[in-house]
Amino acid sequence: MGKVKIKKKETRIDMTAMSDVTVLLLTFFMLTSTFLQKEPVTVITPPSVSEEKVPDANLLSVLVSPDGKVFLEVLGSKDSTYKSETVRADLLKNMAAEYNKMHPSNPVKFTAKQVDAFSKQNAFGVPMSKMAQWLDLPTDERDKALETAGIPINMNEDPNKPNEFQMWIRAAYNSMNEELQQTMVKGKGIAIKADQTTPYSVVNVVMDNLQTMKMNKFSLMTALKTEEE
Amino acid sequence: MAKTKSRQKKFDTRIDFTPMVDMNMLLITFFMLCTTMIKSQTLQIALPTNEKVEQEQQNKVKQSEAVTIIIDGKLDDKGLSKPDEGLLYYFDGMPPSGEELKNLATANPMKQIEFGNKTGGALPAVREILRERNKDVVKKIEELKKDWKAMKFSTNEEKNDSIYQVKAREIRNDSTLKRPVVIIKATPNASYAHVVSVLDEMQINNISRYQIDRINQVDSAMMILLQGQNVAK
Repeated sequence: MGKVKIKKKETRIDMTAMSDVTVLLLTFFMLTSTFLQKEPVTVITPPSVSEEKVPDANLLSVLVSPDGKVFLEVLGSKDSTYKSETVRADLLKNMAAEYNKMHPSNPVKFTAKQVDAFSKQNAFGVPMSKMAQWLDLPTDERDKALETAGIPINMNEDPNKPNEFQMWIRAAYNSMNEELQQTMVKGKGIAIKADQTTPYSVVNVVMDNLQTMKMNKFSLMTALKTEEE
Repeated sequence: MAKTKSRQKKFDTRIDFTPMVDMNMLLITFFMLCTTMIKSQTLQIALPTNEKVEQEQQNKVKQSEAVTIIIDGKLDDKGLSKPDEGLLYYFDGMPPSGEELKNLATANPMKQIEFGNKTGGALPAVREILRERNKDVVKKIEELKKDWKAMKFSTNEEKNDSIYQVKAREIRNDSTLKRPVVIIKATPNASYAHVVSVLDEMQINNISRYQIDRINQVDSAMMILLQGQNVAK
């Protein structure tokens, strides 16, 4: 009788296997992830059957909010030849030159610190007259201020008197990044990202502005839709 | 005797992995929430240039081949387009001019389809219309597709695909076939989603010649007339 011993069961579960799996998953997510970029407005792009992917380098995307506010995002090349930061700094310099040509009475000028702040900004879109002031803000306030701003844009078919949006496009086209210039000509370098509920009149203004700048080819960002044949 | 007294204490060599797993799970959650797995797609479009010379050339589109589609939408109280509602107007041939304009009330070439909800309504209807006008190309592409599915071009899948793509493009641009020229127009109230879905139909129906144009007075006159006729009915 005394010989029967109750076997003590080990209550701890071996977590090694679990740990293996999680580390694997973690590696996968870390390698495949591209971080969500902060955007001033959230847009849901309309569905389309097109399967062409958005390029992840040398891209100028035009973000259009449903109420007609326009923002720009610039991506540099994939390798380190033209980093996004360098391209953005160059873009701001170009843009200031363009702007000052049109507004000689009150020219804009940026300090090195302001240019640096601009080069770290993923999306931008404030009137040039307020740009320096905006760049002086701390990062979180800058994002907040951006939401209510937007690049001034109107129906304008005279390329000799460009509005600010058209100046930005020209500045991007003339930037030192030749690759961006090439993709813009091919129509892959400019992408319009607009919400599906946006009235056509709003998108039309942007398209018309691009047309005026002789950028007749561009792409529209869409989400994937599966279509049964 | 020494043996019993200095019995080595057995250390448990297993490490408890639970905190490690906890931490990993947390990190995974973080990465999952912060990533965008699905990259958005793009739809390439080319607009006609603003220059006057080119516009005159564009007007020389053969009358029998032109189809004009006009997208109209409704705005809600916030000024946004309703993606589920809208109307589609279409007519064949060139826009009426001269004498035809006077007789517009009795002989309006324009027809109207409702967009309805996402699945039904205008899109299948428009697909039928476009497919009918592009049937030569669609038929050839479908034959080609059969060959492609049977891997007739090459046993290598990638090669098979690329040969198919080249041949399909040739058929789409074959000027000996009867191909429509689609002119897409949209009213200011039309939703962007509708414009994109109509552009999509061009791809689905293998239409190689289409363009986006601005709405003009004749178009709006025809639309107003058509709406009036519908109300009268």
